[in-house]
Amino acid sequence: MAMNEPVASQATEGGGSARAAERVFYALVLLAAIAFAFTLHVVFFKAPVEATMGIVQKIFYFHVPAAISMYLGAAACFVGSAGYLARGTSRWDALARSGAEVAVVMGLMVLVSGPLWAAKAWGVYWTWDPRLTTSMLSVLVYVSYVVLRSFAGDGDAERKFAAALGVLGAANLPIIHYSVQKWGGNHPTVISSGGGGLGHPDMKLGLNLGFVTFALLTALLIWSRYRLEVAKNRLQEIEEEALELGLGEE
Amino acid sequence: MQAEGTGDKYEAIETGKGAASTPKKADDRSTAFQATEGGRPMQSGEKLLVEAYAAIWIITLVFIASIFRRQKRVDRRIAALEVALEKARDRGGAP
Repeated sequence: MAMNEPVASQATEGGGSARAAERVFYALVLLAAIAFAFTLHVVFFKAPVEATMGIVQKIFYFHVPAAISMYLGAAACFVGSAGYLARGTSRWDALARSGAEVAVVMGLMVLVSGPLWAAKAWGVYWTWDPRLTTSMLSVLVYVSYVVLRSFAGDGDAERKFAAALGVLGAANLPIIHYSVQKWGGNHPTVISSGGGGLGHPDMKLGLNLGFVTFALLTALLIWSRYRLEVAKNRLQEIEEEALELGLGEE
Repeated sequence: MQAEGTGDKYEAIETGKGAASTPKKADDRSTAFQATEGGRPMQSGEKLLVEAYAAIWIITLVFIASIFRRQKRVDRRIAALEVALEKARDRGGAP
């Protein structure tokens, strides 16, 4: 970092593009809010009740998109981690950290909503089914990443160690996806290969809207978390400059 | 083995034709009720659905609130330090 450069001049650089990014961000927030409202309307008022499971099947319209969003967060963590290992710049690290936190958030949604559906459909909240087990393993990998970043300091060595975890952690994602086909188990395969699909157009609409809504939400969460990380990096620069000027604890 | 209703296809209920479990003949009806031994009581689908959606909203809102709170704290600190730095530069270095 160019620590001798005055901070004020850095702040004015790219002011126009920052304002444009801000406008795009709030436009996305508005779009996501509309998408959420529309998805809820379709899921609860248009999509029919499933024939054998009943109303509890409606969990599916948010459970599956949350699982895909966990993949998106994990992919962001993978890209950011690989970028940090290759380039070593703090923006790649910020992307990795943002992706990992979003993967944990989405993973929690999957691990909460899935067992609530299973309680009705299977009669138990949890079973050590291959897909459930590999999903939980992935969430634990990203929880480890977040814990590591929170408590192990913020030096280059810690960032590289976390980046290695971010790259290796992604190896479990295809295993989650193909676990149902390779090892069977109880988990339904409604929309993946070999599945029978959704039997009503409004069910398909509800699921597709769920995907769009969760993709928007994931993008917004990663972006928000990334902005926070960039701001924290900037605060660190300013604090170092303040120390150089002898401002001490002011 | 897959549990009933959790297979590979979700079918909608056809409205107006009654429930899927409606017996076709009088002989198909239950003639006695047997208690399960050690089984779980049947859970309400509506209650589980509400719990799942509530959990999703709570997790999302807690995460957004956490980001918002942390961003505010960092922004406040940056603003305070920038003012202090500006003053220090005007004084020509160390205070």
